[in-house]
Amino acid sequence: MNIVVLVKQVPDSGSERGLAGDNTVERQSANNVINEMDEYAIEEALRIQAAEGGEVTILTMGPERAAESIRKALSMGPDKAVHVIDDALHGSCALSTSKVLAAALGTLNPDLVIAGAESTDGRVQVMPHMIAERLGIAALTGARKLTVDGGTLTIERQTEEGYEVVTAATPAVVSVWDTINEPRYPSFKGIMAAKKKPVQTLALADLGIEAGEVGFAGASSEVVEHAKRPPRQGGQKVADDGNGGAALVEFLSSEKFV
Amino acid sequence: MDFSLSDEEKAVRETARTFIRKEVMPLEQEVLRRERAHEPGLRLDELRELQGKARAFGFWGLATPEEYGGMDLPAVMQSLIWTEIGRSWVPFRFGGEADNILFFANEEQKAEFLVPTIEGERISCFAITEPGAGSDAANIRMTARRDGDDWVLDGEKTFITNGNDADFAIVVAVSDRDQDVRAGGSTAFLVDRSMGWRSEFIPTMGEGGPASLVFDSVRVPGRNVLGEVGQGFALGMQWIGKGRYIIPSHAVGVAERALRMAIEHANTRETFGKTLSTNQAIQWMIADSETELEAARWLILRAAWTVDQGTDARHASSMAKLYGARMVNDVVDRVLQIHGGMGYTRELPIERWYRQMRLLRIFEGTDEMQRLIISRDLLRGYTEIGGHLA
Ligand SMILES: Cc1cc2nc3c(=O)[nH]c(=O)nc-3n(C[C@H](O)[C@H](O)[C@H](O)COP(=O)(O)OP(=O)(O)OC[C@H]3O[C@@H](n4cnc5c(N)ncnc54)[C@H](O)[C@@H]3O)c2cc1C
Ligand SMILES: Cc1cc2nc3c(=O)[nH]c(=O)nc-3n(C[C@H](O)[C@H](O)[C@H](O)COP(=O)(O)OP(=O)(O)OC[C@H]3O[C@@H](n4cnc5c(N)ncnc54)[C@H](O)[C@@H]3O)c2cc1C
Repeated sequence: MNIVVLVKQVPDSGSERGLAGDNTVERQSANNVINEMDEYAIEEALRIQAAEGGEVTILTMGPERAAESIRKALSMGPDKAVHVIDDALHGSCALSTSKVLAAALGTLNPDLVIAGAESTDGRVQVMPHMIAERLGIAALTGARKLTVDGGTLTIERQTEEGYEVVTAATPAVVSVWDTINEPRYPSFKGIMAAKKKPVQTLALADLGIEAGEVGFAGASSEVVEHAKRPPRQGGQKVADDGNGGAALVEFLSSEKFV
Repeated sequence: MDFSLSDEEKAVRETARTFIRKEVMPLEQEVLRRERAHEPGLRLDELRELQGKARAFGFWGLATPEEYGGMDLPAVMQSLIWTEIGRSWVPFRFGGEADNILFFANEEQKAEFLVPTIEGERISCFAITEPGAGSDAANIRMTARRDGDDWVLDGEKTFITNGNDADFAIVVAVSDRDQDVRAGGSTAFLVDRSMGWRSEFIPTMGEGGPASLVFDSVRVPGRNVLGEVGQGFALGMQWIGKGRYIIPSHAVGVAERALRMAIEHANTRETFGKTLSTNQAIQWMIADSETELEAARWLILRAAWTVDQGTDARHASSMAKLYGARMVNDVVDRVLQIHGGMGYTRELPIERWYRQMRLLRIFEGTDEMQRLIISRDLLRGYTEIGGHLA
């Protein structure tokens, strides 16, 4: 099975994050890591590869620094990587990101595309759907479990209430939540081998995409302004001096919680 | 000049860091709780389980050759990993290690002692120090007398790490009184506990503790000589030498963690209506700590790098051990001072570091012995001022 995993480099969600002067995510100074959910996607791909054979390819669209995350991803075990890198991509919206990723996928002919269900920076949760739509293949999103039976993929889609069982034939895009598995640590041998694994870089011209279709130039929407979320207001303390219950009910109803 | 790490160094460090953060650090409060109750902070079975988890992704035997399943890492990478380990006070270390001199064993001895030690099935200890011979290790008195094919060992060893848990000891004893202990007069033996030596725990200011070993006519078969007869002291010095850059590498991790705690505390604790961090007295402690920490880091990495160059690293390693051990004690002392009374309690790891780190200036060559080596190298002209840049 030919599997492609979509891996995005994001600023570490555990440290201070911000937006740059042009209202895009600050990636230059940040401590950048693999989008956490994508590690689960890689793990799932490796498990399927172990059972079914075939090849696992990492696909990333991102600036030069994203190469670090590609190496890290490869050290977990995938065979090779494709890095889409082009100055014109800066400022791309979700629509144009999906256009680029879909075009790159077109060159790879995957049976299965696995992505994280969301990134920790953009958090739009739309990439898997958009890519599937552009490629004209099924989208099995939000999986907490994935089984492969020949050409049939079955997922358990995690929902608020429980889960849904969804099936599709390959090729398809599957997006996964962090409930699906426990990602492995990069092995020592894997780290040493990663350096020698092929990483192909593609520019927009290689994908037949004009610079004007992506980046700020082609953005379907624009971030005009941003502000930090105001700090949480100190809550209201209800002291129980005999009528604490009543005060509590009054508070809850005034806030329309009950 | 390039002070950056290679991609591999970064990746190896990152993996060790993630493992320590996810698997080891969650045990920290429990370790403190147990030690307050005078129990071992981490039981052997728990250590082995953690080591097994790390082994699953190949982090096993940092210094062990590949043919024994180890990683055989360059010294710089080992140093980086030990710094990561030092960040947590959980007494964790990666598995798959054995005393460096066990690799001088012959094939049968390797199967009996080396491989099971690497696999964690046997526990070794190394014994050269005696009540009358510490810094002056050549003054050892334990005798090894030939008796047919056997040797008979008599004497006492002291301050032996793992001495109470070990099931065999690597013991250096005087095998020929007519020769200098350093040159032909001493021999190293592999001695099973079942051959009759006894151990007694020595309580110390640290957690856990060494033991004294008593040899009362312990009969050791001739096949248990490690290396050659007469090679004992040389092997002993190799054993002591191996840790010279590892010990301070660990200390760098301790100092980093401790300093981070101090910064956090200084930024939040208020006295006289403002945070501690606004006082110059506190700021200077933080500045001095970071400066010394960085100085130690580079001294240590340079020593490790010297090992990797395959050139004589003794001088560089002695400076790294001397300075790194001193640095961590000074940093922990300041960090304790910044924490005030809280730093003195057993709720926080600081007093623990204060006790544990003191050992670093004593074992595997005291501060004074490092100075002896460093100055002797210079005074006798073995070493150029300026090291490899001279
Ligand atoms: C309307 C709109 C306008 C935007 N405008 C801007 C803008 O002006 N400037 C700006 O900086 N950002 C903008 N963004 C955000 C940015 O474009 C998105 O973050 C980006 O397109 C990817 O979305 P995501 O990572 O949130 O995707 P998600 O759907 O949350 O990600 C899901 C998964 O898709 C995969 N994936 C996502 N991105 C990549 C990638 N680059 N390479 C490989 N795999 C990937 C990963 O597997 C990931 O786990 C905009 C987003 C939207 C919706
Ligand atoms: C917890 C612990 C674990 C240990 N583990 C082991 C082990 O596993 N195996 C083992 O063999 N040994 C072990 N040791 C022993 C350790 O190596 C010795 O304690 C150390 O070498 C110092 O020897 P000493 O204690 O006899 O001190 P001494 O040699 O008596 O020295 C006392 C002090 O005088 C100083 N001094 C001595 N001579 C000179 C001089 N010429 N000039 C200036 N100053 C001098 C020393 O530096 C020291 O400060 C351990 C010790 C401890 C505390």
